Amino acid sequence: MPVPALKISNLRKVYRRGTVAVEDLSLTIPEGEFFGFLGPNGAGKSTTIHCVTGVAEPTQGTIEIFGLDAVKDYREARRLVGLCPQEFNVDPFANPRQIVDWMGGYFGMPARLRKERIDMLMERFDLVSHQKKQFRELSGGLKRRVVLARALVHDPRLIILDEPTAGVDVELRRVLWRYLAEINKDGKTILLTSHYLEEVERLCRQIAIVAKGRIAREGSKDEIAGGPGGLEQAYLVATGAEADHVAGQ
Amino acid sequence: MTPMAVETPMTAEALATMDLNKPLGVNWIGLFTMVRREVSRMMRVPIQAFIAPWISALLFIFIFGAVVGSRITQIGGHRYLEFVLPGIIMMNVINAAFLQSSSAIYFSRFIRFVEEILVAPLSYVEMIAGSLSVVVLRASVTGVGILVMGLAFGATHIHSWPLFLFWVASVSGVFGLLGIIVGLWSKSFEQLNMPVVFFLTPLSMVGGVFNTVAMLPDWLRWLAWANPFFYFINGIRGSMIGFDETPPGLGIGLTLLLLTVLGVTVWRLYSKGYGLRE
Repeated sequence: MPVPALKISNLRKVYRRGTVAVEDLSLTIPEGEFFGFLGPNGAGKSTTIHCVTGVAEPTQGTIEIFGLDAVKDYREARRLVGLCPQEFNVDPFANPRQIVDWMGGYFGMPARLRKERIDMLMERFDLVSHQKKQFRELSGGLKRRVVLARALVHDPRLIILDEPTAGVDVELRRVLWRYLAEINKDGKTILLTSHYLEEVERLCRQIAIVAKGRIAREGSKDEIAGGPGGLEQAYLVATGAEADHVAGQ
Repeated sequence: MTPMAVETPMTAEALATMDLNKPLGVNWIGLFTMVRREVSRMMRVPIQAFIAPWISALLFIFIFGAVVGSRITQIGGHRYLEFVLPGIIMMNVINAAFLQSSSAIYFSRFIRFVEEILVAPLSYVEMIAGSLSVVVLRASVTGVGILVMGLAFGATHIHSWPLFLFWVASVSGVFGLLGIIVGLWSKSFEQLNMPVVFFLTPLSMVGGVFNTVAMLPDWLRWLAWANPFFYFINGIRGSMIGFDETPPGLGIGLTLLLLTVLGVTVWRLYSKGYGLRE
């Protein structure tokens, strides 16, 4: 059986103040998959991603990235992952080129390879004319491009995108969709969270809906979105929002 | 945005370099990148990082050399300025080291770009070594800059270069580690500045910068012996003018012990994710 790109088993995350963000969450994403991870705000999506990438410490459970334990073999596991976070966790005084270059450096990329890769990414994301500006001077859309380029600089096998198109204009969103579809076709595994159901429906083949820290529903896109009311209805039912809505009427 | 085209392929050599099946050794490039990044951040504020301590030291040289120094008798056969200058260097080394590490870690937590390091394949030792390298660099440039001014004005000399470098590097390491702990602990800029106001400045002022232990009243001498800053200042003074008030090896032993204890503490904090991970 091939090693999955990501295998999360019984993940539980309790924050220091006692908030239970993730409760017994299990998930397997095969290599090459385009996986949609849906759920309302506070459902535990970002916390799960933070546990996978090392930004948060899991309280219980195991996470394997291409068979490597994300906690015990964290260095080896992290080499394989690229994270585009929801928030701009970037030095605001640095310029896009520096930001991407530093990240490549952290991942051990030699200077020549970094340059080649950064040149390509700057061009690909139309950042060439902005690459020497401070990050804080850029528009929201340009900032989003920078963090995306940063996530891709080391050519990761598993790309985690936490709401990558939030606050992005229609043009960039579409360009991004095409790019993601292209790299997924090339074999990259992508885990995407988004509040835009259209985006998930367009890109993802597998979908998991998370609610209150647990997987509420998981399956292929056809399976989940194929029913009456499509993905939106499935989402509302899985997250309990539909029941709440009916109860409120 | 550029139309989607075929992505530039990574070269075979590049792919070999990035061989993901190869076990990870020391991430030298990552370590060097941490240094490059912090140096770039430091160079955004050259006045704060270097010019301010150098100007302040220059004023000390002027006041203790030309104004006050001429009215004070020699201490241990040395002019007062010669006696004071090593302490001034050490005070600036301590400040530079502490401010560099505490502000770097706090700023990166505050803006959350510390997550760039957390998601990277860097070991905790590499993360700490990367931070400390810049600390030692900044403290050394600050200290050596003041020394050069002292030498230029004939205000000092060097008795032992290896010992001088040992004291600059080891003490900046101690305060770099201490700065990391404070940077991890602080939840506000107010907390970040507290140790400087209540701990660093007072202890260095009473740590023998301006006086010998013998100049203190008997009942107050224990304060000097109990103050670690005294050993640092005394140590660098010994390396510069050969004037040493402590038993041989005591200051070096204490400094190495502090480096070890603080190093292990910081490593434990990193491995637990204290102040770093949610």
